Amino acid sequence: MNGEFQDHQIRDVMKINYKYTMGGQSKFFIELMNNKKLFGTKCTKCGKTWMPPRINCSDCYTPADWVELKQTGTIEVSTIVWYTTSAFIKAIPYAIGFIKIDGAETSLFQGIFSENLVPSKVKKGRKVKAVFQKEREGKMTDFFFVPEDEYDNWINKPEYEGGK
Amino acid sequence: MQKEVAIIGIGITPFKARYLDKTYFELAYDATKLALEDANKNGAQITHKELQSTVYGIYNELFERQFMPDIFTNSYLGMNNKPGTRVATGGATGGYTVRMAYAEVASGISDLCLCIGLEKCNDCYDEQTGTTTPEVLNAIAYSADMTYEYPMGMMAASSYVSMVNAHYEEFGNPTEEQMAFVSVKNHGNAMLNPKAQSPMKITVEDVMNSRIICYPFKMLDCCLYSEASAALILANKKKVRELGVENPIWITGVGAANTDCFIGNREDMGRLYSNIYAAKVAYKMAGLDYNNIKKQIDLAELHDAFSGQEVISYEELGFVPFGEGGPWIENTFEKAGEGPWHDGELPCCPSGGLIGCGHAVGATGIMSTGEAALQLRGDAGKHQVKIEKGRAIAHSIGGPGAAYAAIIVMANEEGVR
Repeated sequence: MNGEFQDHQIRDVMKINYKYTMGGQSKFFIELMNNKKLFGTKCTKCGKTWMPPRINCSDCYTPADWVELKQTGTIEVSTIVWYTTSAFIKAIPYAIGFIKIDGAETSLFQGIFSENLVPSKVKKGRKVKAVFQKEREGKMTDFFFVPEDEYDNWINKPEYEGGK
Repeated sequence: MQKEVAIIGIGITPFKARYLDKTYFELAYDATKLALEDANKNGAQITHKELQSTVYGIYNELFERQFMPDIFTNSYLGMNNKPGTRVATGGATGGYTVRMAYAEVASGISDLCLCIGLEKCNDCYDEQTGTTTPEVLNAIAYSADMTYEYPMGMMAASSYVSMVNAHYEEFGNPTEEQMAFVSVKNHGNAMLNPKAQSPMKITVEDVMNSRIICYPFKMLDCCLYSEASAALILANKKKVRELGVENPIWITGVGAANTDCFIGNREDMGRLYSNIYAAKVAYKMAGLDYNNIKKQIDLAELHDAFSGQEVISYEELGFVPFGEGGPWIENTFEKAGEGPWHDGELPCCPSGGLIGCGHAVGATGIMSTGEAALQLRGDAGKHQVKIEKGRAIAHSIGGPGAAYAAIIVMANEEGVR
């Protein structure tokens, strides 16, 4: 190639809007939004309780029934994020982890909010409880978990409330 | 089955943070040209016209700003009117692409196949911070479950750190220091690899003092995203003979497995189950023993996206029993002193791995396979390790919670005997 290289870049964006169907999982989001309830599913054959819920058991190829789970759970594993994606960079630091909700056999990935965000606060084995947004849209962001000893403080904040 | 498919040409472009002078398809052209030149140096006399098919490893449409980047690459490589298939399996795209190219040649539908990975991630740009990385991470985060996990702030590092933290809870390792050993080793090994993006002579303290990314991963525990292309030319036994290839590297085993992408569904969160299943399949096919693999190969090019995950991988790939990865790196690290870490029981990532070379996702596993093949040919240059058994493995993992894994076992003429 002849001549000196000069670079050229253009600004661009890719964007798609959705009205996304939740299909068989819809009940989970409706119960969350309307009733502040956490529903899992239980396989009618092997009895495994799935959370996130799936209306079919992937182990047995058998339908699973909806079951209401408790609003408490245990942290199985967690981390505190200090650098992240463009969509979440304004939220750092934040803690996330896999929570085994009481009554479920699988663990759900969720945010763990704490007024004192240090690794020991969100450590494996800690008991947590669900706190709900007052304004809910039927999405996972309608709720989060907090350490049990901070629960009362969180549900007394104007934007949040406890479950039923 | 051992001498059916061989790597006869290897082309790897430098791994760089950004190529302003090349598009993804121009990078692919460079890698293909390098692979053809290498095949010809190796005794063949071929051009792209003799290549009968292509398997493309391209992970992320959002990086390339194009949802079918393979067909545009196909045009640029002059491969029109021949079959071309894309493979996309997250960080394991490269290894899986080698597996599928192997399958094309072994099945007889292609005698001479181009296996090429490419990625150009750093055109993603985050306007709010005026940097690329947060937007690159966001493009990757769309690989998480979009309903239950992405909205909570899942990203690659927080996904992988979950397994490492769960492993630590169970076994008390890897400690932060043991993870730092991997970082020092791989950045240090990259000093001898002219194609590496992040060659660095650093100390354990440097790693420990680097900025926190997600607890306990620090900046220097993480690989950097990279732009590159890597290509292999695969030929069947007949073609190897016909072309007079002097130093074929035989692919003797391919294994892959996808474990549950929901980490919370796994029986044990501190395991990379995909690695265990993929390794067992690949070793068995190659006639090697999972429990004795360390003594049967000369080196491993591992997928060290994160330092702590390399440590767990030692266990999943059968190098050491479960729970002993941390002590093993400690021992290996200390024996090598100032590095490079090319000796020891089993050299891991003599190229520098992802932490040293960078991670050009679709290209990475093909680079790792190509690097291992160059080692077996004795052509690795300054980072050549001692080849006694004539066998090596390349390891590719990726996806949410490292759900995808692919392992490639290869051997030179001595190694297949």
